[in-house]
Amino acid sequence: MPEFDPTEFEIADLGPKINGVDDVDDLQEMLELEEDGEDRPPVKTLIESRIEDLEADDEEVDPETVDLTDLTIADIANMVRDVDDVDVLEDLLEREEMGKDRKGAKTQIENRIEAVTGGDDEDAEEVEYVPPEEKYPDLSHPTADKQYVEAVSGETYRDMWVYCETQHGELIDVSKEMLAKARQLVDDCNDEYGGDEDGNPEDVVAVLIGDDVADLAEEAIAYGADRVVYHEDERLARFRHKPYTEIMCHMERDWDADWRDYHEPRYNIFPATDNGRDLSALVQGELDSGLASDCSDLYIENAMISNPAKTGTPGDSKEFERILHMPRPDFSGFEYSTILCIDKPHRDFHPQGASVIPGTFELPEPDGDREGEVEEHDIDLPEDWFMTEVTDHDTLDSGVDLTGRDVIVALGRGIGRDPTEGIELGLDLVDAFEDADLGLSRGVITASYQFGGHVEQYVTEERQIGESGQEVEPPLYIAAGISGAVQHTVGMEDAETVISINTDADADIKDYSDYYIQGDLFEVLPRLTEALEQGGLAAAVQEASDD
Amino acid sequence: MRSVVLTKGVPDFREGKVSFDEDGHLERGKTPTVMNPNDKVALRAALQTKVRHGGTVSLTSMGPPGYKEILVEGMRDVYADDLYLFSDREMGAADTWATAMTIATGIEHMDEEPDLVFAGFKTADGETGHTGPQTNWCLNINENFSDYPLITHVIAIDVDEDEETVRVKRLVEGDLSEIETVEADLPAFIVTDPEFEASYRKAEHRLRYKDLREETTARAEDAEDDVTVWNHEDLNLDPDFIGLDGSPTIVSGVDPIEKGEGARDATELTPEDDDAMEQVFDEMVGFAGGD
Repeated sequence: MPEFDPTEFEIADLGPKINGVDDVDDLQEMLELEEDGEDRPPVKTLIESRIEDLEADDEEVDPETVDLTDLTIADIANMVRDVDDVDVLEDLLEREEMGKDRKGAKTQIENRIEAVTGGDDEDAEEVEYVPPEEKYPDLSHPTADKQYVEAVSGETYRDMWVYCETQHGELIDVSKEMLAKARQLVDDCNDEYGGDEDGNPEDVVAVLIGDDVADLAEEAIAYGADRVVYHEDERLARFRHKPYTEIMCHMERDWDADWRDYHEPRYNIFPATDNGRDLSALVQGELDSGLASDCSDLYIENAMISNPAKTGTPGDSKEFERILHMPRPDFSGFEYSTILCIDKPHRDFHPQGASVIPGTFELPEPDGDREGEVEEHDIDLPEDWFMTEVTDHDTLDSGVDLTGRDVIVALGRGIGRDPTEGIELGLDLVDAFEDADLGLSRGVITASYQFGGHVEQYVTEERQIGESGQEVEPPLYIAAGISGAVQHTVGMEDAETVISINTDADADIKDYSDYYIQGDLFEVLPRLTEALEQGGLAAAVQEASDD
Repeated sequence: MRSVVLTKGVPDFREGKVSFDEDGHLERGKTPTVMNPNDKVALRAALQTKVRHGGTVSLTSMGPPGYKEILVEGMRDVYADDLYLFSDREMGAADTWATAMTIATGIEHMDEEPDLVFAGFKTADGETGHTGPQTNWCLNINENFSDYPLITHVIAIDVDEDEETVRVKRLVEGDLSEIETVEADLPAFIVTDPEFEASYRKAEHRLRYKDLREETTARAEDAEDDVTVWNHEDLNLDPDFIGLDGSPTIVSGVDPIEKGEGARDATELTPEDDDAMEQVFDEMVGFAGGD
């Protein structure tokens, strides 16, 4: 028999009990007992994840003998983190070179070697602080005179703050997505680094600013916050740059609250919405720090940096801890860059800031049992912060949302021979479906085609599918005249059935297609429309006669 | 009305112009540099102000000496009275914070304070959307300079010269898209939305627009020599607060977007193959409209 029978306990009591069990066989038996008895999904998840954790520990690999070709780059990164012996690391590097020779894997090992060997340099001279007056005697130092450069160094930072945007009195989805992601990042960080410098776990702090936002605090906690700070004022009912920025900066830097015993947050997360992105730029500017916008992922790990702007000395490498890695698509969706916000000698760049693309992280289920603190931030807001006045506002018909449709008919530069007719033919096919809409490749939007007035309204970025547009996964995707550049296919590769039409016998889109019609879309689209209208008609007749 | 417009040179991302190396990295050297398309939108907003109210339009950029051509492109394709380039090795590799610091100082260095500063939304390369707002923040922190209210995502602008106010419509997208009407005193800082449209309702405006366009296109012919170029010493800028050294962020890695493994094995067919086409129809017919 295992240590205890889970079916005899309430779910709430089981978490700590199960995490106290170290024997996988015991846990397996408990899982069976639960399955045969109460069969509660959360309990099974608890037990299963405990088993997974224990097994992961067991699987600890021996870096001296492991076959590197069995490991992913991430596995290697995890493994080398615990290796301090340079010889072992160099041997690993050699084995990787003989084996798969992956650049990413080698970088991980090399960085670790640098971290281990570079450790000696820490005793080397600190970069000496030279006041700007001495360093650049010919300048009169406007940057230092102006108050906008805070330029503090060696301050204390902790917690991940999340700006939760609201609209019409509700948290928008991305706010919930960010809270859940922040929860996971902070939990992982607490595990990895053992909490803050004093060993206390760091928190997720949600920021709410607006009119009547206190009611949303409980919800923010349910989605992952440990603490919610809010500021209410009827003048804040709509987003306004200046007061929102000033309030958030005051909460994060100047607010004298007994729980906030640090200089500034360690991390600041914002939504990459129109207003959220503006706020992120202003808050991070004011706090004398940096940020990456429109991130498509976030993770925290140490970073080995050799950039002299950050280390202070050319040729040196330095390991920075708890660095938020911020990958983001840029160059119009052609590349990913990973951005880091890193302190330099005599000037801290904290909080490390990021804004995240809505929909990037999963929309979580709220957990009503979570507990947290709620704090009101209450300062007077000077009238001169309200430099702009919103005199009117209207909600637009919700823009084009291509997700959730049964069918997307997407057009690419194959329509170039007669762009207006191309769009018309696409729209005809859309109309022949019950629930369909028109999508476009980026090529069509950037091509500066001259469109007839009646179709021009359809050619907008809202309809763009791909890396810098919408990602769709409809049951049926029809790609007409689309070559299939990566920037496009990332937005449609999860569609269930893909039918492509292309004059080129071997366009890249073929690899993403179930049916590849080698032909002219100007000829094929009308045929599909016609077949559908007849087929639809036949089906309708059939249905009618069935009744 | 005195307007200052911010612009940046970016790789020409239109299909057929972009060049990649074997690893899938963008080859900047082989890809032509053009004026950021969103900045042309901002410049059109400044031109609209000039057409309606007169005054001057100054076009500014930060970048290598070659960016003179970008400024001239703006003058030729839209409009500009004069051109300013902030250019210096010390300014290189700046992130948005360090860029904002440089541009704001450049604007402060001009003879006259602008009534309106215009910036475009994202650049086609960095795509942060931060430089406009952060430049506004930098200008406002300078106590010797006016505080400029920031209005972003602007799709239409009306200036009231007598009242010295500006009234704009801004487009805000969240879970719901909204249009706000926002009013503020001049001077003001405007970030245009890509959807901004200049509007010339009066015949006299349309005529003036045409004249200004012809005049600026002609003037652009040999404008490259007339660009005012300022380096960090001209602007009295501490190198520790601009360029790479002044940037909070660094780029730790650039990766081509991974080419997904084409997981599908397509059935290939031609339109002449009726049987195969029939299969395609079968896949579609379940989604047909009922009427």
